[in-house]
Order: sequence, then structure tokens, then C-alpha cells
Amino acid sequence: MSDSSQLTYAEIDRTVLDTLRPPSGGYWLVIMVLILGVLVGASCWAYQIFVGIGAGGQNIPVAWGTYLINFVFWVGIAHSGTLISAILYLMRAGWRNPIARAAETMTVFAVSIAGLFPFIHLGRVWLVYYMLPYPNQRLLWPNFQSPLVFDVVAISTYLTVSSLFWYTGLLPDLAAVRDRATGLRQKIFTILSLGWTGKHEQWRHYTRGYLFFAALATPLVVSVHSVVSWDFALSTVPGWHSTIFAPYFVAGAIHSGLAMVLTLMIPMRKILRFEKIVTMKILEAVAKTIIFTGLIVGYAYGIEYFLAWYSNNIVEQEAFRWRAVGDYSLEFWIMVVCNSIVPLLFFFKRIRTSIGWLFSISILVNIGMWYERFVIIIGSVAHDFIPHAWGLYWPSGIEWGIMLGSFSLFFLLFLLFAKHLPSISMTEMKETLDHGGGHGD
Amino acid sequence: MEGAMATDISVMGLFPDEQKTASTIEAMAGYPWKIDQVHSPFPSHRILDALKVKKSPLGWITLAGGILGFISGFCLAIYTGLEWKLIVWGKPVLAWFPFVIVGFEFTILFSVIANVLGLIVLANLPDYKGLDKYDPRCSGEYFGIVVACDQQDQEKVVDFFKNQGGEARVFE
Repeated sequence: MSDSSQLTYAEIDRTVLDTLRPPSGGYWLVIMVLILGVLVGASCWAYQIFVGIGAGGQNIPVAWGTYLINFVFWVGIAHSGTLISAILYLMRAGWRNPIARAAETMTVFAVSIAGLFPFIHLGRVWLVYYMLPYPNQRLLWPNFQSPLVFDVVAISTYLTVSSLFWYTGLLPDLAAVRDRATGLRQKIFTILSLGWTGKHEQWRHYTRGYLFFAALATPLVVSVHSVVSWDFALSTVPGWHSTIFAPYFVAGAIHSGLAMVLTLMIPMRKILRFEKIVTMKILEAVAKTIIFTGLIVGYAYGIEYFLAWYSNNIVEQEAFRWRAVGDYSLEFWIMVVCNSIVPLLFFFKRIRTSIGWLFSISILVNIGMWYERFVIIIGSVAHDFIPHAWGLYWPSGIEWGIMLGSFSLFFLLFLLFAKHLPSISMTEMKETLDHGGGHGD
Repeated sequence: MEGAMATDISVMGLFPDEQKTASTIEAMAGYPWKIDQVHSPFPSHRILDALKVKKSPLGWITLAGGILGFISGFCLAIYTGLEWKLIVWGKPVLAWFPFVIVGFEFTILFSVIANVLGLIVLANLPDYKGLDKYDPRCSGEYFGIVVACDQQDQEKVVDFFKNQGGEARVFE
């Protein structure tokens, strides 16, 4: 457990509920800037819908550009939310309690944004319903052997499960806000909390339900990023066709998500004055987990090279040689350094207990993980079997605009959440004080 | 415990401490009053143990949802494969291994939906009427034991809670 065990129930309530007071002008200024970013993204998408998918920089052979990079990036970001809220919950890791709510929220927003990118990449977005299995006059059905259709099923399930998990976890805290609110706000929170009163009969079923949520979300999160990896691994493209892709993607997803947790929590604990709840020990625990995931990711980078060499397949060997020294070598080395070398700095206690270092390294890991997807998605098809078919790609302004919009939307939603809903689970914090963690049975 | 007798009023004993709440519940065993509800700001196993409540049957509902989900996902993939016999890369129309993935995702989806619906039904949510006999402090730092009793026992119950170190609140 953390230093937060010194707190009292009243202090927890006061600290968390104080964050829901009317925000300052600075908050609304940031909100306006983010809305502007969202509008830029929406305008770029609208332009692309109007003129066609050619507004992006995709070409032959690189047909999957930043839209797929961002899709994989945001799904990855989502994963550590589930790691913290479900997997660490099952492991009774009490340190996850103060950051679980923010991480779960991050999951919901990141999956929602990830889910937008296949729509954007479709071009003719109004035909999106073709992906769904529904009776139709053409007797046409989705091909359930395709990893792309696995993706539709997996991502839809993930979004539904993480949203329900998030809302169920919020219920007791929504009731706590209701009990201290007045007027219209009280009415809204009364409806949202479904009349929750913390009766023992409610808790009896809730604790079991929450446990099952965690137990079901755990295999789901592993399956979702495995399915995302199979979008690539089930093809025969050199650099994609690899049996290690599923665990490699899952580890990478958690790596990027943990970094995003630090990126979000560090400013949040300062601005919302959560220092007594989100203690340095908790940030340190996240940093230690990043060392672990960084080592797995670094191992995966190395083993890919070993497999290319050991396969004795010249196409595979050339693809990996080109990654390191070819046209996208800068992106490759950004990926290697940011994801597997920089996190090793967390081995030093002085660094992992320094807010400046924690924040800076988290940003670098986020950048590195974005470039990892760039290297995998772009680098592999740009330089596959036949030299005649090789080609380069760089995102167009429209793609950068849509990417800006997605990041703006993510931070906008998170900021709105932080000022309007309890961003730390008061219930779980109180439980931590008594039991050392978990709702659990 | 549940479903109470014919009573006139409810008295709530409020305690700032989980252990004290649990011991008060145990002490009530020697009295004729029935505990209607116990409110707490977080799930307390001490309290649930003191009340001797049974384990929730929610798991069975979740399991049923999961089984239904697996069958639905698998059957959907089989049905659509048979309806539109498209052979891709020489794979059989009914390819069992890929269908397991669809079945798995549906298992999780249906389990979770069943879990939520089961929770809503078993916990009787939404329950806005429950707010009538509720103290808002019970979502903060207090634990509330609600006892249903006859009018003439009101003073005795109030005294009992005060003797146990709590405060009492009467709901007419």
C-alpha cells in the first residue's frame, strides 16, 4: 500500500469532491484550444469525405497510413487502463486504486477514438454498416475468417465491456457526489447513480459483479490486441508474418498505455492537488512496470532480427536490414531508443522518483510507441517482396490534421471528465485504507 | 434479515467505524428487532459476515450469458459461412479455428451484458425509493444500520444505538 493509508475517509471525499468545483478561466481556455484542435480534425475528415480517400497520403504499396497507425496506437493506449483496473485488481495490487479510475476512463476514450479510425480509413464512411453481419437482399455476409472482421467483433466488445466496467465502477462515487450536491446537479447525479445507497444487498451483488468484470476483462484485453496484431501477422508480408506478434503487441500496448497514464496523472495530480492520494510511490510503481514492459518490447525487437536471420529467408532479412538503415531508419531508431533504452533509466531511483524525469520519459515512450506502429505498418509494405513494387509514404496534411484532432479529442474528453466526474475512486480508496486493496471476494 | 415484518417506523444507527458497525450488528442478535439494511461507503466483508448473507448468485447469470454468447458467436460464424460460401485462400468454408475467436469475443460480450443485467435485477436498481430511508453521510464516512421496529420500540432502539457508540436517526 502507499502513503495514502494515512488519509481519512473525510479527507478522501474532500480531496476528490473539491476537484468538481467550478473550474477557472484557464481550464476553459485549454478546453477552447482543444475544441479548436477537434474542429481541425473534423474539418480534415469532412474534406476527405468530400474529395475522397486520396486526400490522404496512402498509395500503392503503402495502403495503410496514419489512420491504421493511430488505430493501433489508441487501442494500445487503452490496454493499460484495463491492466490497471482489471488485471492488477485481480492480483490485489493496492497501489492501483488511486489511478484505476483515470486509467479506466483513459481506456474508454482511447477505444472510442481508436474505433473512429477504421471509419476514417474507409473513405466512404456511410458504407460502414457493410462490416456488420445483418440480413440483406444480396445474401452477403462478413467473412468471419478475416482478421479484419475479428477486429470489428473484438473492438466493439472491448468498447462495450470497458464502458460498462467504467460506469459500474463509478456508481458508488456518483452517489457520493449526489449526496453532496444541490439543485440541478443533484438531480442529474441522482439519475446517474440509479438511486445507489450502498445497502448491503447492493454491495453483495456489486462485489461479485465487479470481480466478474475484472475476470472477463483480463482475457478480453489480451485477445483484443492479439486480434489487432493478427491484422498484420495473418498476411504474408515480411515484417508482419510472425508468430510473436500477439504477445509483442500486447506488451507494447501496455507499455504505451502505462506511459500515457504517467503523462495524464502527473499534471492531473498537480492541478487537482492529488499529491496525498496519487503518491510518488504509485508513480514509481508505474515506472517499474514500464521497465518490465520496455524489456519485453526490447526483447521482441531483438528476436524479430534473430528470426529474420535464422529463417534464412532473403526477403525477410532484407526487410529487417532496410528497417535499420533504409529510408525509415530515423523512425526505427526513435522507436528503439524511446521504447527499450530510455525506460531503462527508471532503474535509477533518483530518476523514477523525479516528476520531471517521469513526465519526460513518459512522453518519449508515447512518441516511441507511435513510431513503432509507423515502422511496422509503413516499413513492412513499403519494402516487401519485389523491388519493382517498393515505394515510400509520408502522411499528407489532411492526415496530420486528423491526427491532431484525435489527440485533441482525447485530451478534451479527459479534461471534461476530470472536472465533472470523480477522477479517483473514493470507494476503492476507502477500501484501501481498511483492507489494503480491492473490492474483492 | 430481509423483507421485514409489519412495522411502523425505521431507525438508523450511524457509526463512523466499520468494526463498530459489525459488532453492533452482532450485538443485535439478542434483540427482537430486524435489520432492514446496512449502508456503507464501501463494500465491507466484516459487515457482510456479521449479517451472515449468502454469496450472490450473480455468477450463474454471468455464466449463462457466457455460454449463450459462445454458442451465438460460433453459430453466427457457421451460419454466415454456409449462407455465403466464399472460399478465400483455399480455406474451408467452415474453418473452426477462426470461428473460436468469434465465439470467444461473443462469450465475453454476452457474459458482461448478463453480468450487468443480473446486477441491475438482483440489486434492484434503479432504486430511487431507497433514498427515503437513507442518510447521505453513508456515502461518505458513516455506516448506517436501518432497523424496522414498532412505534413503542423506537426509544429502545435509539438507546441501543447510542449505547453502542453511534447516533440514531428516525424515519417515520
